[in-house]
Amino acid sequence: MTKSRKMEAPVVIVGAGIVGGAIAYYLTQRGLKPVVLEKSAIGAEASARSAGGVRAQCRDRLERLLAMASIKLWEGLEAELDFDMEYVQGGNIRLAASEERLAGLAAEAQEELADGLVVEMWDRDELRRRAPYLSYMFIGAKYCATDGVANPILSTWAFAVAARRAGASILTHTEAIGVETQGGHVTSVLARGRDGEFAIETPLLIHAGGAYTPQLGQTLGIHIPVEPARNFIGVTQRVPPFFTEFVSSHDMRIYFRPARAGHVHVGGVLVTANTLDRSVPAEGLAHLSRIGLMAPALGNTNFLRAWAGTLAMTPDRLPIIGPVEGIRGYLLAAGFSGHGFCLGPIVGKLLSEWVVDGESSMALDELSLSRFA
Amino acid sequence: MSGPTETKHTEVAVVGAGPAGLSAALAAAQAGVQVTLIDTYRQPGGQYYRQPAAELETLHPDSHQREGKDLWSKASGAGIELLAQTTVWGAFEGNQLALYGPESPPSLQAQAIILATGAYERIAAFPGWTLPGVMTTGAAQTLLKEQRILPGRRVVLAGTGPLQMVVAAGLVQAGAEVVAVLEGSRPLRKVLRRPWDFVTALWGQWSRMSEGLSSQLTLRRARVPFHTGWGVIAAHGQGEVTEVTIAQLDDEWRPIAATSRRVACDTLCCNYGFIPATELARLLGADCEWRPAHGVFVPVRDEDLATSAPGVYTVGDGAGVGGGPLALIEGQIAGLAAAAQVKANGSDGGDTTSIREQMVGLRAALRRERRFQKLYAGLFTPGPGVDELAELDTIVCRCEEVTREEISEAVRLGADTLDAVKALTRCGMGNCQGRVCGSLVAAAVAQEIGHPRAEVGQFRVRPPIFPIPLAALKPVDDEAASILQGGGIAR
Repeated sequence: MTKSRKMEAPVVIVGAGIVGGAIAYYLTQRGLKPVVLEKSAIGAEASARSAGGVRAQCRDRLERLLAMASIKLWEGLEAELDFDMEYVQGGNIRLAASEERLAGLAAEAQEELADGLVVEMWDRDELRRRAPYLSYMFIGAKYCATDGVANPILSTWAFAVAARRAGASILTHTEAIGVETQGGHVTSVLARGRDGEFAIETPLLIHAGGAYTPQLGQTLGIHIPVEPARNFIGVTQRVPPFFTEFVSSHDMRIYFRPARAGHVHVGGVLVTANTLDRSVPAEGLAHLSRIGLMAPALGNTNFLRAWAGTLAMTPDRLPIIGPVEGIRGYLLAAGFSGHGFCLGPIVGKLLSEWVVDGESSMALDELSLSRFA
Repeated sequence: MSGPTETKHTEVAVVGAGPAGLSAALAAAQAGVQVTLIDTYRQPGGQYYRQPAAELETLHPDSHQREGKDLWSKASGAGIELLAQTTVWGAFEGNQLALYGPESPPSLQAQAIILATGAYERIAAFPGWTLPGVMTTGAAQTLLKEQRILPGRRVVLAGTGPLQMVVAAGLVQAGAEVVAVLEGSRPLRKVLRRPWDFVTALWGQWSRMSEGLSSQLTLRRARVPFHTGWGVIAAHGQGEVTEVTIAQLDDEWRPIAATSRRVACDTLCCNYGFIPATELARLLGADCEWRPAHGVFVPVRDEDLATSAPGVYTVGDGAGVGGGPLALIEGQIAGLAAAAQVKANGSDGGDTTSIREQMVGLRAALRRERRFQKLYAGLFTPGPGVDELAELDTIVCRCEEVTREEISEAVRLGADTLDAVKALTRCGMGNCQGRVCGSLVAAAVAQEIGHPRAEVGQFRVRPPIFPIPLAALKPVDDEAASILQGGGIAR
C-alpha cells in the first residue's frame, strides 16, 4: 500500500547509528529539526554492535586529532544528554609481544606526544606492575590513561533519545531509497517505511549509512568506495572486576575490555572481507578463546553470548566525511572502517557547524570523497 | 587439552535422549544407518523417563523409568553410540554441531540431524515468583524422580495440565503435604461443551487415562483440594516463600479480585505448559511459525518431520508439545526418514522402499496422537491473564534483574522491537540466555507496543546457545603457541 504523505525537513539524515544520531542531536542544539531515516531499529546495526572503545591512541594522525576532540565531548556527554552511557576512562593498553612491535609503538608515542596526547611507554616490569593480570608473553605496552569505553548500545540510544527530545524526528524501519536533485542540488529524499513510500522535501541530505551507504550513492551516480566486512565479539559470564582497561594485542589479534555488569567483551583484530553475513563463525569463537592465553584469570570462565556486526571499510581505512563534489546538499559521514564509535560525537558536532555556519571548526577536507578521485 | 580434538563424522546425529530422541535413534539404527545420540545428562531418558541417580538405582523405579530403561537397552543393543553429558552449544554450516562433553569430540558433522531437544516449562511473572521456594513443577519432579528429594513440606501447585496432578501425587506419596492443586483452566466445562470430540480424541489413550486416574485417586485419598479455574497471583515471604495469594480466574485467566485469599506453604510449584526448545533448529536455519492454539513458536515441518533446513528433522516436544506417546511416534518417523535420506544418497543402490512402507502405519498412529495433542492444547493453554500478573517492580528477567517497569520505560524511549528492548534493558542477556524469560519479555513487549505476540517474535538466537568454557574451544591455528614459545617470555 502506498500513502502519499508530504514532508519537509531542513536536513534529512540517513542512519540513526552513533554518527547519524550525533549529527541530529547537535543540529537540534543549533535550532534545526532534522528528520532521520533508519532502515532498522535504533541500536540494531554497527554502532551498537561495536566494542565501545573510546580511544585516541594508535590512530592515523587525522583520526587522532578528531578522537582527541571527541573525547573532550565524551567527558561531558552523560550530563549533557542526561543518559547513562556507562562511559569510563579506564585507560587503553596496546600490547607488544616482540621487540619490533614495541619499537613501532615507541615511535608512535613520539608522534602522539607531539600532538598533545599523553601516552606512556611501559617496559616489561612496568607492565607487570600496572597490569599484573596479563600473560608473561608480552614484553611491553603503550598506555593512554584518558582512553576508555562506553556501552555502545546505550550510547547510540542516548543520542537518538536526546535528538528526539529536542525535536528531531527519527523514523525507524524506514529506508532511504532515492534522492531527487534539480540543477545539481538535492531537493528531496524518497523513503520506504512500514506504511509505504513517501518523499521528504529537503535541501540537505547527510548520509551516515555505514556499510549500506554505497547503494544510495549509486542512485546519484556516485561511487562511494565503502565495502562491508564482518567482525565479531564474544561475551564472558560475569567475573569479579579485576581490570578497567581496554586491552589489545595485534600479535594475538585479540582485544578485550570490561563491561560494567562484570562481563568481559572479547573481540578479534581481524575481519571477514566483503560480506554482509552476520552469523558468528565456529572458528571465530575458537579464535576468541585466545583471551585465556592473554589474561590467564579468564581461562576458566565461559562464553555466554557472541554476535557479529558489519563494518564499513574504505580503501585507506579512514572515514569519508563532508560534502560531495558535484551534488550540492549531499554530505557523507561514512566508511569509518571499524573506528567510528569514538568519533561519532565530534563528527556530529563538526557537521552541524558546517550546516549552520557554513564551515566546521576543524578542517575535514582531507577526509572528503574526492581523495579517491 | 585432553580428549579427541577432531571433527567426528556420522550418518545420523540425534540430539536429545528423551522419548523422541531414543525412538528416533532406535528406528534409524534398525534401518541400518550409523547413529550418534547426544544428551546433556549422565543417563539417557530426558525428563519424561528421568532416571534415578546411579546411587539410588536400587530404589523402586516407576513405570516411566522402567519404560525408558527398556527403550535405552534396545537402542544401545542396536549399536547406537551415546555421547552423554554433552552439550550441543552451536550449529554451523554443513550440518555441523559444536559439542562440549568429557568424552566428546569438539564437533560432529552428520548427513542428517534429528533434533529432539524437548521443551522448557512456561512460567508466569507474578509478584514474588523469584523467591526461594518457588520452582517449576518440572524441577520438583526432577528432585523427586532423580534425587528422591522432597522440595518442601507444604506445597501448593498452580498452573495447568496433567503434570500438576502427577507431581502432586508423587509429592503425597513421598510424604509431603499438598496444600492445594490449582488448575487455571476449567477442563470439565470445555469437555461438556463438545463431549464427542473428547471421546474420539481419548479413544485408545488408555495408559494416559490410567495414569491420570491413579494420580486422582492418590490425591483424593489424601484429601488434597483440587480447584479448577483458580491460580496463584502472588507469592510472599522474607527470604523464602511462606504464603501465596490465590484467586479464582475468569475465562481469560484474569484474577477475580473479590475471591483472592492467602494460603500458607513453604513451596510453590508452577507450570503453565511448555515452550519448545527451538534454538538449535533455528541456528540450523529452520523456519518457525506461531501456533496460536499453544501460544508458542514451532518449526515448520513436512510429513517426514523434516524442517525447512536441508537434512534437519525435529521431533517430540521440541517441535510442538504433545507428550511422550506422540514423541515416540514422531521419533520413529523421523528416524526412518533420516535413514532413507542417508541410504538414498549412499553408494549401495539407495533402495528405501521397505523403510517407506514402515512409515505408512506410523502415520495413522501419528494422526491419532495429534488429535489428542489438539484436545490437550484446547484444555490446557493459559489465557492472556497469566501474562498480566507482573506489577511495576516485579522482576521479569531474573538473570539480569530487569523489572516490568524497565520494559515499559524502554518502549517509552522508543524501543519498537523485542531485540531493541533486550538491547536497552539487558533482559535475556543473562545466563539463561532468554530461555526462562523469553516468553515473559515477549508478552510484555507485545502489551507495551500493541503488536500481536506472533509479530513480536522471539529473541534472536546465536551461538553459544549454552555457556561454553573458553577452555573447550581450540584456537584455529598454532600462532598463539608460537608466540608463547618465541621471544618475550619472562623467566
